[in-house]
Amino acid sequence: MSGRIVVGYTATDAGADAVALGARLAAAMDVPLDLVLVLPAEDRSVITPPDAGYDRYLVTQAETWLAEAAASIPDAVTHASHVRFGDSFAEGLIAAAHELSASHIVVGAANGGLRGRHRLGTVANELLHSSDVPVVLAPEGSRRLEATTVTRVTAAIGTRPGASALLDESVALATATGAELRLLSLVSVDLPVGVDTGVIRIAGAAHADDVLGKALDALPEGIEADVVVARGDSIEDAVSHLSWEPGELAVVGSSRLARRRRLFLGSTAAKMLHELPVPMVVVPRTRGKKGAR
Amino acid sequence: MSASETRGTPPLAPSSGAHAGELSKKGLSAGAVGVLGAVVIGVSTIAPAYTLTASLGPTVSVVGTQVPAIILVGFIPMLLTAFGYRELNRAMPDSGTSFTWGVRAFGPWIGWMTGWGLIAATVIVLSNLAGIAVEFLFLLISQLSGNPDIAELAFNPFINVVVCLLFMLGATLISYRDMQTTQKFQYILVTFQVVVLVLFAVVAIVKAVSGDAPDPTAFSWSWFNPFEVPTFSAFAAGLSLSIFIFWGWDVVLTMNEETKNPAKTPGRAAMLTVVIVVSLYLLLSIGLIMFAGVGTGPLGLANEDISANVFFALSDPILGPLAFLVSLAVLSSSAASLQSTAVGPARTLLAMGHYGALPAKFARVSPRFFTPGYATVVSAIVASVFYAVMRVISENVLTDTILSLGMMICFYYGLTAFACVWYFRKQWFDSVRSFFFTFLFPLVGGAILAVLFVTTLIDSMDPAYGSGSSIGGLGLVFVLGVVVILAGVVIMIWQAIKRPAFFRGETLSIDAPESLRRARRRQAD
Repeated sequence: MSGRIVVGYTATDAGADAVALGARLAAAMDVPLDLVLVLPAEDRSVITPPDAGYDRYLVTQAETWLAEAAASIPDAVTHASHVRFGDSFAEGLIAAAHELSASHIVVGAANGGLRGRHRLGTVANELLHSSDVPVVLAPEGSRRLEATTVTRVTAAIGTRPGASALLDESVALATATGAELRLLSLVSVDLPVGVDTGVIRIAGAAHADDVLGKALDALPEGIEADVVVARGDSIEDAVSHLSWEPGELAVVGSSRLARRRRLFLGSTAAKMLHELPVPMVVVPRTRGKKGAR
Repeated sequence: MSASETRGTPPLAPSSGAHAGELSKKGLSAGAVGVLGAVVIGVSTIAPAYTLTASLGPTVSVVGTQVPAIILVGFIPMLLTAFGYRELNRAMPDSGTSFTWGVRAFGPWIGWMTGWGLIAATVIVLSNLAGIAVEFLFLLISQLSGNPDIAELAFNPFINVVVCLLFMLGATLISYRDMQTTQKFQYILVTFQVVVLVLFAVVAIVKAVSGDAPDPTAFSWSWFNPFEVPTFSAFAAGLSLSIFIFWGWDVVLTMNEETKNPAKTPGRAAMLTVVIVVSLYLLLSIGLIMFAGVGTGPLGLANEDISANVFFALSDPILGPLAFLVSLAVLSSSAASLQSTAVGPARTLLAMGHYGALPAKFARVSPRFFTPGYATVVSAIVASVFYAVMRVISENVLTDTILSLGMMICFYYGLTAFACVWYFRKQWFDSVRSFFFTFLFPLVGGAILAVLFVTTLIDSMDPAYGSGSSIGGLGLVFVLGVVVILAGVVIMIWQAIKRPAFFRGETLSIDAPESLRRARRRQAD
């Protein structure tokens, strides 16, 4: 039912994180995996003289890197490797995802992130602001994780437009991977800064129940979901108090500022990212494909 | 999930296997560069503003007014050798260039030294480039702020070395991270450089003719006569300097599969580049000689205090309030040249690491920026140390580095030219074309360069040579050349003990392609 999974690979720890997560997702969803390494397109180089000999060397090196990465993928996962060229890593990756009809792009956190935490690098950042394919971010340390399946999918539901695409994606992910579904509401803290915490709790809890109730109603027949309301003084606080399973995925929607069908990481998602110990799936606000709703 | 697999197999070619890379070639340098792009790369690699300010003074000191003649004659060995380069690049396109070709033709030992010569020459030029850039940076600030004292700061050894090292650090970061300007910006920079240089030369000529110059010298066509150079030593020294000013031009001629039309683009672009550059050189050298003369007066081109960086001293007297344009042109030209030049040693070091002629670390490619990371950093560190040491031991670091640079270029260019002749030895008589391009032209070019190298080496033993710095009674330029070459020999022997595989020819073997004519005849039989 779903497409392929594209991993944006670099021969770094972040790349290894992405490959490990990509392989886990592909195994859980039973779809093929594509490792894509994007080299800089030579026509953007205007200062350094072009050198076809060096380009060949780079391509060979890239193929070696990809072969090494492919060796770490379990045999059960069908996988292929591609060397692509692009003006930027993100641009090349999105183009490859289109050509491959990929359902997800997986990238790693930037170097220097804390263990188990996300830190956006330039590549992830660019992807999160331009991709029209859902982007999965692998937190630092994913390569060392024991989990081999997806045990739970948590959808962070807001109240504004975008929630329905997010819900569809979460349901589809949970179905494809055979994972439990959990609906999380962060509405309790989605209020102006400076409002008394007690007021937030009371007003928020009522609002949250309402939103989650609507979301539960919107679920397709036969889909069960847990419901949880995150409590905390801030989004970071609320997220850090939640329990997360090692094999869990968090799904968030793209910001309302995003262009139609493009990603744009919103402030709530960005704040969640800092505290989230599990991979985060960022879904475009609306998905225009027919039958999605 | 909505993206469904309805249209069958993915359209991408796998990266390995029999059909590797047959699809999605977009971005490979294959076919990326047109004539205009190649000319821009050529001019910005040669960096006429930088090369002329660095070499005009030393050239005038040896050949006097015969600079235009020397510039024209200096192009001949460059051209002949570049033909050899082109043939080798066509047969063996490899990022190791001279190193790889030297090994294929003459075996590991001579090939190693050829690569060493290239690395040494580029490392020396990097330090000189940074040195010139620093002087112009201070000059520019002083011109813009109207405070002449700031320009003097450039000659404080401590400030000079520190700023120069910062320059190198910045350039290394840019190279390492492979930051590129846009093509448009590069076109603007090159155009700006050319326009400013023309303006500079024209104003100098006008002022000289109207007598508004420190030493108005009447132009004479005899300046173009190479036979009026007083001695053969002066001739050789001048030639090796003028080879330096064309250095980088071969990049255009050897661009092959990178161009849109490999049969025509490189030739046309090389022609255009050389016409632009030679016209600029002639115009400027004539203009400045007419304006400032070849004497050793305060603004004379042969004055040792200004000769290492003549534009620095002459831009104010010639252009007055517009002098900052010259500073800007030289600065931007040095900056661009610093980038394009730094790639050379890094790629050669990478190839040497790859073939096991140096530790494998040198072959490392940065997984994030896809540049030869380790090799880039090492060459930058060596160039910085070289500059700092030279600044301390030499009275005039820029003049001495330029002179030793000319010598090193003759060394490795000459070896490369001979490598071409020897590599194609079985194909010399395949056709008229191959007779000229693989035998006669590179042979003559190599021979001229060899004579220049030996003559410069012998002459530079005189302690008065160059800036007049000497060590143990021998000229600094000589000591520098010999130390650099001997250091190469020592490192080579050390590597031969540690990494014998390369030196036994196991990683890169000697080769000589068979005659095509004979092969055809055999086929016909």
